[in-house]
Order: sequence, then structure tokens, then C-alpha cells
Amino acid sequence: MANPLPMPRRKTDVTGIAFSVVLTVVIIFPLLVVCTWAFANVWRFPNVIPQQFGLRYWHDTLVRVDVWNALWISIRLSVTVTLLSSAICLPAAYAFARLDFPFRNVLFFSFLAAHAFPKFGLLVAIAAIFLQLHLIGTFWGVVLIQLVGTLLFMIWIPVAAFQSVDRRMEEAARDVGARPLRVFWSITLPQAGPTIAAAVLLSFVGTFYETEGAWLIGAPRISTTPVLMISFINNQPVIQYGAVLSMILWIPSIVALIFARRVIGSGAFARGFGA
Amino acid sequence: MTVAAAAPVAPAAKEKSQGAIGLLLVMLPVLLVIWLVIWPIISAIVTTLWIPDAGGFTTKTYQFFFSDPYSLNNLGLTLWTTAVVAAILLLLCLPIALYLRFTEGGLGGYVQGLAIFPMFVPSIILSYAFIRVLGPNGMVDILLNAVHLPKIRTPYLTPWGSVIGLVWDNIPLTVLILASGLGNVSNAAVEAARDVGANRLQVLWSIILPKLTNTLLVALSFTVLNIFSSFTLPYVLGPAAPEMMGPFMQRSFRELNDPLSAVTQAVVAFAFCLVFGLFYVASVARNRPKP
Amino acid sequence: MATLELSDVTKQFGSTVAVDKVSLSVGDGELVCLLGPSGSGKSTVLRMIGGFATPTSGAVLIDGEDVTKVSPEKRPTGMVFQSHALWSHMSVFGNIAFGLKLRRLPKAEIAQKVEAVLELVGLGGLGKRQPNQLSGGQQQRVALARSLVLEPKILLLDEPFASLDQHLRERLREEVRDIQQRVGITTLFVTHGQDEALALADRIVVMRDGRVEQADPPDVVYRQPRTPFVAGFIGTMNLVDGEVRGGRITAGGMSVPAPIADGPATLAVRPEFLQLTRTDAADAPVAHRVIDYGTHLMVDIALPNGERLKAMAAPNDGFKAGMRLTLTPREIAIYRDGVVAHQAAIAADAAPAPVAAVHG
Repeated sequence: MANPLPMPRRKTDVTGIAFSVVLTVVIIFPLLVVCTWAFANVWRFPNVIPQQFGLRYWHDTLVRVDVWNALWISIRLSVTVTLLSSAICLPAAYAFARLDFPFRNVLFFSFLAAHAFPKFGLLVAIAAIFLQLHLIGTFWGVVLIQLVGTLLFMIWIPVAAFQSVDRRMEEAARDVGARPLRVFWSITLPQAGPTIAAAVLLSFVGTFYETEGAWLIGAPRISTTPVLMISFINNQPVIQYGAVLSMILWIPSIVALIFARRVIGSGAFARGFGA
Repeated sequence: MTVAAAAPVAPAAKEKSQGAIGLLLVMLPVLLVIWLVIWPIISAIVTTLWIPDAGGFTTKTYQFFFSDPYSLNNLGLTLWTTAVVAAILLLLCLPIALYLRFTEGGLGGYVQGLAIFPMFVPSIILSYAFIRVLGPNGMVDILLNAVHLPKIRTPYLTPWGSVIGLVWDNIPLTVLILASGLGNVSNAAVEAARDVGANRLQVLWSIILPKLTNTLLVALSFTVLNIFSSFTLPYVLGPAAPEMMGPFMQRSFRELNDPLSAVTQAVVAFAFCLVFGLFYVASVARNRPKP
Repeated sequence: MATLELSDVTKQFGSTVAVDKVSLSVGDGELVCLLGPSGSGKSTVLRMIGGFATPTSGAVLIDGEDVTKVSPEKRPTGMVFQSHALWSHMSVFGNIAFGLKLRRLPKAEIAQKVEAVLELVGLGGLGKRQPNQLSGGQQQRVALARSLVLEPKILLLDEPFASLDQHLRERLREEVRDIQQRVGITTLFVTHGQDEALALADRIVVMRDGRVEQADPPDVVYRQPRTPFVAGFIGTMNLVDGEVRGGRITAGGMSVPAPIADGPATLAVRPEFLQLTRTDAADAPVAHRVIDYGTHLMVDIALPNGERLKAMAAPNDGFKAGMRLTLTPREIAIYRDGVVAHQAAIAADAAPAPVAAVHG
């Protein structure tokens, strides 16, 4: 594809270098600092680099009870929410993609409703209702509120996945003798699978990092890892605990980066947000 | 795309059973949306306008909100922050998106990776990193000290703290949305303009930006919806007073034990974002091929 | 051994009639081409035979058995789709073996059959490849193999070469014809390319607007087109409106015997049967343009009334633009009311008819 607006013919791509430098400083540099803190046994001002490197605080963080509790709750929450979300959303996604029923379009767009309102305002409105239902501070209260956050993702992306399965492939399968259920199992699901898997993974990771709902509804009894992180930032004088927790907290994101990157970079993802 | 029918058997009966199965399958998520999205919004509006103790229908809570200097300050801060962040984001991300669209060098991939990267950094880690870099005795202070320059005043716990954090967090999605919109600007259109003599700036102004209006508005709406009621970053990085609507609502609800005020603030936030929310939904509806 | 019978098959989509009372009989081992422009209903007919669409009325019979309402997986048909529709998540072997696995054949037998059919289509040994590692032509062969391995009674091909380039297309259709004759399978082939139909078919079924215009062997369709549409669709055809009077038709300045009733009619002459001779008559038709195709000349003729005709000439005949010409048709057809009224070859020694006054 010919480039219609080529940059001026110079040996070096000045704009590109400028962007690269600026973005590297702005984006990579802060994270490098956090990394360094996580591996610093001693780092006192005004040294540019730590006086002493080491893994002491990794050990110290990993023996803390509150850290393990928070990790355990986060994992339980994420697994529960992701399983529930898959169970109720994936069949619905198949219905939206392939079946025809009354109000299909209206119902399909209703899932966008949650994102058309300022998020925290919506959370407060939900919290007011939960107050009446005595769901504040409970595990299932947090599950419900995080579940709502995954709905758009777990419906719209799988719908796109099911719709993009080449209909002719399914017809070819029927032509060679496969019954409709077998076609779904052997053809539709494997074809739509990778995208749906990415959506499920992103749901899990997104729930793991969900802070606002967990803070509003769950804290302090249900203290997820991000919520714990907030308390580290606010109340914890020893800096390294926060740094180590940040590194631990980052792991699911790296996993998502590796496995779901292609889905996120694709135009379909941005279109799902309305571009 | 058309919906494919199942096996070609007696059409009328099959359509009916398809309809029933379809509705059944979507029942659960739809009910969830009604219970946890539609109902809370209606309930919020109703409970703040109909207060049995104060004699039924009343706008007392809203009157309080709009006459209370503290609340108004918070609202003002929120509006200011939203405007500033939106402006900075567009000024920052549009050049990046344009660069990505029209570059042919190898650096394009690197820049794109960097621009998308913050999406994989949870907000909370971002907050922490911010403090470690820009906070008191943070990395910037250390570096400035090392070259014997005076310390700068840290933006931590000032409104600019929220601004910087929010901009950082929203770069990826803004770039993605703008890049997607730029994908609709065909090479042929640009070439035709250059063919009749337009220079790069004129091409940008007369050809590219008009085609981007819709995308820009979508990016704007999305940003506004995200920022207006954001909580984590303003809470950690911003000032305690005035505070943004997010932390304000949270404090009213949990610490002040005043859910009524909190819900009032939420409805105020809804009202301010209404136009953007409607536009956003309409834009998504228009751009999607009919499902 | 399989015969196919379509009996008054009609397909309606809402108020549009896509297929209108089509009846067709295909004999055992025959290769029939469904030929027609887009929207003629040919693909719909094929899909109804394959089971992917149900006729609104009429019946489909395979070997005398009514399969009209039978679902595709139970029909003894095999379809090769235009986009090959190979399953991208399975290897070539997997694609071909899938149908056999559904029939619960033992593994050894499956492997043997898959290898055999891959040899048949000329892809022996490529079982382990993934579909996206193959070229377009190879992919279509795998699609063909996938259908053939199940030994269907009827093979259906839906414009399978449409996405391939010209040379590949010609080569593949020869191979498909060979395989079809070797295996002896009854085949229906949908195409909108008339050269493909002429090259492959035992019989061509020309379709327009959901109806069958003609169903005959290729040479009959070419030489004796039943309707003006068929005449114009296959090859090039000159069609000139004219008038029959006293046993002769006069059209475009030509006059030939026409033993039919008086009245308006259309004269049809193929370019290769329109003989040209030079003349000096000032009001004779003039050669507007002469294109040299190497094997023949195509002369673009302008009649005095503005109509254009095409005539073929030998490469050395020396016709040039601007020359005045006399036109002598050698083989003609006359159409009236949309059907052929008369067809004849005119003897070589008959004198060219005088240039008659051209009607306006």
C-alpha cells in the first residue's frame, strides 16, 4: 500500500524518534522506577540508584497475611465472575449472533447502556440499592458489581466472533454429513474459539484489576489486591512493599498482553468501543 | 450480515421455536442489565426526588447540592479536570495517530506498542509509579538534585496530579479510536488533494480533519464519560479538597454515611454527561453493521 | 448410478421469485452446466439440490427418491463451494477425513481413502499441510477431494473457479472434467462463463430470471439457440430487427428467404457466418473499425441507419476501416415473439441479395 503522505526524505525519521523518546520517557521510565524499587533493599535520597539491591522485600511481602488474603480473594472473585459471566453470556452471544427473535437489536444494544453513564456514578446508584439488600461488604455483592462490568465485553466480542465464522464452512460440514450440533462443536466453536478465549481472558484480567466497585462495595471486609494496594499507597511508610505488590499485581496483565494482544490491537476491538 | 436460519424445515414453526429459544438464552444477561443498570438509575432519580420524610416530591437534595459551595467547588474541579484532560489527550494523541497512519518507517511499530502499553498497566500501579516519579523525593527530584537543579513543586495531591494520571491512563484507547477513524481516510483522498497542490498542513485541515469529526466526537465522548466520574486516580493523586466527583461520592457514601447525598451527586454527574452518553450510544449504533 | 430429476421447482423469497417452475432431468454420469447471468437463479437451484434451500413448491428426486425436504447432511450430494470453504483449523487430511470420521469408518480405511483421493486430484502426499499453506488451485482441489471421498451420488460445483486466474482456471477445468469422466459421477456445474460451459458440459442449461431458456448439448445451444437471449448470451451474435414480407426477411440491408408468416421479426447472424465483399456503392455499410486478433479479423460494421454489426474475416482478407462492404449471411436464425421461428444455412453459391432500401 503506497504511502500518500511520506515523511520528508531524510536519513532519519525525526518525528518518529521524537515520539519514541517522549513516549519512552513518559511510559516506560516510571515503570522502570517501580521495578527498581522492588529490587532495592536500601534506597535513600539523594542516590540516583539504590544503595543496595536485593530481594529482601519480596520475602517480607510474601509473608504478610494481608497480602495473601488479598491475593486469594482477588483470585476467587475473578474466577467466580469469569465463570458466571461465561455461563450466562456465551449462550446469549450465540443467540444474538445466529438466532432471530423479537427485540433482538434493542436487547443487543441494552448492554451498551452501562457504558453510556459515568461509571462511578452508576456504581454509587447500585451501591444505594445494595445497601437496602444488605450486600455491602459481602463477597457476592462484589461479584455482582464486577459481573455487570464484564457483560458488554463477554457479549459483544463473542457475537462478533460467531458472526465472523464463514457460513460456508458450516454448510460444507453439513454437506459431508454432520448434524447441526456436531457442526457447532467441530466447526463453529473452533473457528470462534480464539477470539472468545481472548474475551474470557480479558474478562478475568479486568475483574482482577477492578478497583472502584470493589472499594465501594467490598472494602474493608472484602479487600481485593488493588484495594490493598491503595491502602499501601496511603498508609504504608515502607515504599518497597508497594513496589513488590505492584510487580505481583502486574503478572495477570503480562499474561493478557501475551495472549490477547492480537485481539486488542485489531480494529474490531476499537470498533466495539464505537470508533 | 444476515442471520442464517437453521436447517430448512417447515419455516413458520421453526421461526417460532427459534424465537423462543433465542429469548430464553438472552434472558439472564438482559435481566442482569435491567436489575443492575436500568433499575438503579431509575431508582436513583426517584429516591432523590421523592422523599417521604420531607413530604413527597421535592428537589431539596438538588437545591442543597447547588447551593453548597463545597459541592459546587467539587463539581467545578471535575469540569475543569475533564476539559483539561480531554484537551491534552486530543493534542497528544492526534499527532501520534496521524504519525502511525502515515509513517512508513520501522519506528511506527515501536511507537504503536508504546502507545497501547498503558492499557496493560492497572491504574493502581500507575498511581504508585506516579508517586514514585513525580511525588516528593521521587525520581524527578532525585535526578534534578543530581544535576544541582532546584526541586520542582510536585503535582502530587494537586489537581494536576489527577490530570497527569488520567491522561496517561487514557492514551491507549484514545489512540486506538483515532487510529481506527483514520483508517477510514483513504489514501486516494489524500493523494487527490496533493495532486491539486495542497501541502501537508492543508491536507490535514481540509481533508483529514473533516472526515475525522465523528471519530473525534466519539473519542471525546468516551473520554468525558471515563473521566467525569473516575475514582482511583483522583483519589490517590488528587487533592483532598476540592475533590473530583468520584472521590466525593465515595466519601459521602461510605465515610459520611450519607447515601442520599451520594446518589444526588451521581444523578448530577449523569445529567452533565447525558449528551455525551447519548451521542456515544448513537455513534456505536450507527457504525456497527447490523448484528 | 444416479439420476437427478427436478420437477417444477419454484423458490420464492418474499415477493421475489428466484426460481420459476424449473424442470430438469440429469442422466447418470452426465455433466450438466447451469449457465446464466447473476440473478438468474442458477445458484439457488444448486443449493436446493444440495439441501441448503427448500423449494417453495416442486420436487427434487435423486434416483427416483424424493429428497425435497431432506436436510443436507442426509442427502447423497457433495458440494464444492465457490470460496472452497475449507476448515482452516484442520489440516488437509483432517478436512478430507472429517466426513469419513462421521461415518465411523476405521482409521486405517480412512487413511487409505484420503490418500487415494488426494492422488486422484493430484495432491498426493500433501495431507499434513494446512489449508492456508496451499495455493488457490490446490485449495479448490482439496475441496473437490473432500466431496469425492464420500462417493456422493451427485456432485455439485458452485462456480468453483471464479476466484482463480484465467490460465489456472482452464487447466483445472480440464482436470475436473477428466476426474468426472473417470469416476463417472453425475455432476451439476454452475457458472456464468460461457466458455467454461461450452468446454465442459454434456448439456448446457441456460437460465434467465429463474427460468430455463434452453437445455441442450453445447453445439446445439451454440448453433441453434432457441431464444434471442440464448443467442446473445453464448458467443457473439448480431441481432437486427426486420420485417418479413412474401417469404423473405429484410433487415439491416440484408435480405434472405424466410418461409414464415409476414410481420416483424429479428434476424440473427453470428460474425463468423457473415460474409463480407468489397463494393463501391456509396450508400453501402462501411467498415468502422477492424481489429486484428491474430487468428482472425473482427470487422466492426456501421449500417447506414446507424446500427452496428460485427463480422469475422480471415487474417489476410485485407479489410480496412473506411471500406464499403456487402453483407451476405450464411447461417441465420429468425426470432419472433422471443422464440426461434426459422433457422437455415444459405447455400454458398446463392447470389448476394441486392442492397434493399433500409427501413428507418
